[in-house]
Amino acid sequence: MSYTSSSKKNKVALIDCNSFYVSCERLFNPKINNKPVVVLSNNDGCVISRSTEAKIIGIKMGEPYFKVKELVRKNNVHIFSSNYALYGDISRRVMKTLKSFSDKIEIYSIDEAFVDLSHVEDKEIENYGKEIRERILKWTGIPTSVGIANTKTLSKVANNIAKKNKTGVIYLNENIDNHLKKFHISDIWGVGKQLSKLYIKNGIDTAYKLKNISNTWVKKRTNVLGAKTVMELRGITCINLETQETKRKSCCVSRSFGKKVESLEKLEESITTHCLNAAEKIRNDDQTTRSITIYIRTSPFDQNRKYYSNSVAIDLPVATNNSLELVKVAISGLKKIYKYGFFYQKAGIVLSKLREASENEFNLLAPIMENKSQTLMKAMDFTNAKYGRNAISIAQAGINNSWKMRREHSSKIDTASFKDLPILKI
Amino acid sequence: MKLTIPFYLHKVGAGFPSPATDYIEDDVDLNSHLITNAPATFIIRVQGKSMVNVGIYDGDLLIVDKSIEPRNFSTVITNINEELVVKTLIKEKGVSYLTSGSKNILDKINLAENPEIIVWGVVTYVIHKQQ
Repeated sequence: MSYTSSSKKNKVALIDCNSFYVSCERLFNPKINNKPVVVLSNNDGCVISRSTEAKIIGIKMGEPYFKVKELVRKNNVHIFSSNYALYGDISRRVMKTLKSFSDKIEIYSIDEAFVDLSHVEDKEIENYGKEIRERILKWTGIPTSVGIANTKTLSKVANNIAKKNKTGVIYLNENIDNHLKKFHISDIWGVGKQLSKLYIKNGIDTAYKLKNISNTWVKKRTNVLGAKTVMELRGITCINLETQETKRKSCCVSRSFGKKVESLEKLEESITTHCLNAAEKIRNDDQTTRSITIYIRTSPFDQNRKYYSNSVAIDLPVATNNSLELVKVAISGLKKIYKYGFFYQKAGIVLSKLREASENEFNLLAPIMENKSQTLMKAMDFTNAKYGRNAISIAQAGINNSWKMRREHSSKIDTASFKDLPILKI
Repeated sequence: MKLTIPFYLHKVGAGFPSPATDYIEDDVDLNSHLITNAPATFIIRVQGKSMVNVGIYDGDLLIVDKSIEPRNFSTVITNINEELVVKTLIKEKGVSYLTSGSKNILDKINLAENPEIIVWGVVTYVIHKQQ
């Protein structure tokens, strides 16, 4: 049995920045080129980006920092706290550079994008990929890998191969099956932990085996997405490029605390700040929310103390994006789940059931209430945009914020702010 | 980073204000003047006095374009001994050298003989505060 599509083939490239956060840190710091470098997650928690040299030493992705401290010390590994202001700006530059090739791009994450290359001839396409790679490197200083194939799922596979390839570019068009035979099931895009467990239990441990299972089996044992993945491995497009920025369906803000937090007051401060940030985000997108979830938890790694984690979801009577209302509801939710005597490590909120502000249902009280609050919210956003985040806030958010993030190793560079521009000593 | 300055079409004069005062034609957009290729352009602050002879002073802001090729006598950012530094690039008989802008022949670095040195970007403008 073989599967090939007869119609004119789509061609899609996945451009993925190599060790993106590390590459950003290297941009203005040649001292750390060719040396082991890792970037830690918020609050210096876990390893989230590694240079090739750090991978070779044996530092694993996602490992808590305290577990690799010994390796770091022995091998003189350069450590950085994450500096999202910098990574965000460099990411925007990479994506803008990509847009100089084609408007048909889907920004998939901070360091990955799909680009439609269906218009490029087969024999030209690898050179085209090389050109993309070279231009991004020259303009932004960020190395990338380019994987080109007939579907998004296959382009992910191709990108994986390109990463190990000298040129960093591959068009996966011939001998696809040979590559799929060596490709582990759990590395396939769209195959999560649960699904890969199911596949492995049924003897399907490579992309090749998944490609050749029967349609009925997939449809029976998995969901629509599972079936789509299988079709995509066969070269049949089922997942289209999402070129327009589709609006989010939920908005989540959470942080780990720099210092563990015990009191309800401090948690209230943190939850309030998260609410303000989230509300501002959805207002920017002209959205409102119908539901808010509040969650808190202690550290799962702390063996000396008891673990506690809880969350509560509250449906709102009227969809809103008003900071004050959201804070009020969130605090009442927090009080329901807060327990005295625990040392909390993380608190967060999720706004869900988001919808366009204009779609809101008719409400008798709404016109009067809304107008007033909208004016206030607009004034708040405007002032904060002009005078910096949290110029205007509400008192509940606290002023001292001792629970704020720990960022001991930050490079503190922001290429998009006059305050923190890179400095060159001459 | 956005900085615009309103651009007035009438001259400044003493006496009765022009009725056209309300009429602002357009904004002078320094971004579009100083930056031709935004994703490739970085602003870098300098500290130090070693490049005074090429017109770069302590605290100046450099507009650096990574996408363009340096010409003869371009001011460039380059990596030497694991540091980013400002140099002048000169071309003699098809060979590119980096200098500190001084006449001292000894500090000429031949780019072809030092493949590890790359031109990081080309300085297109220097923003210097006069007062």
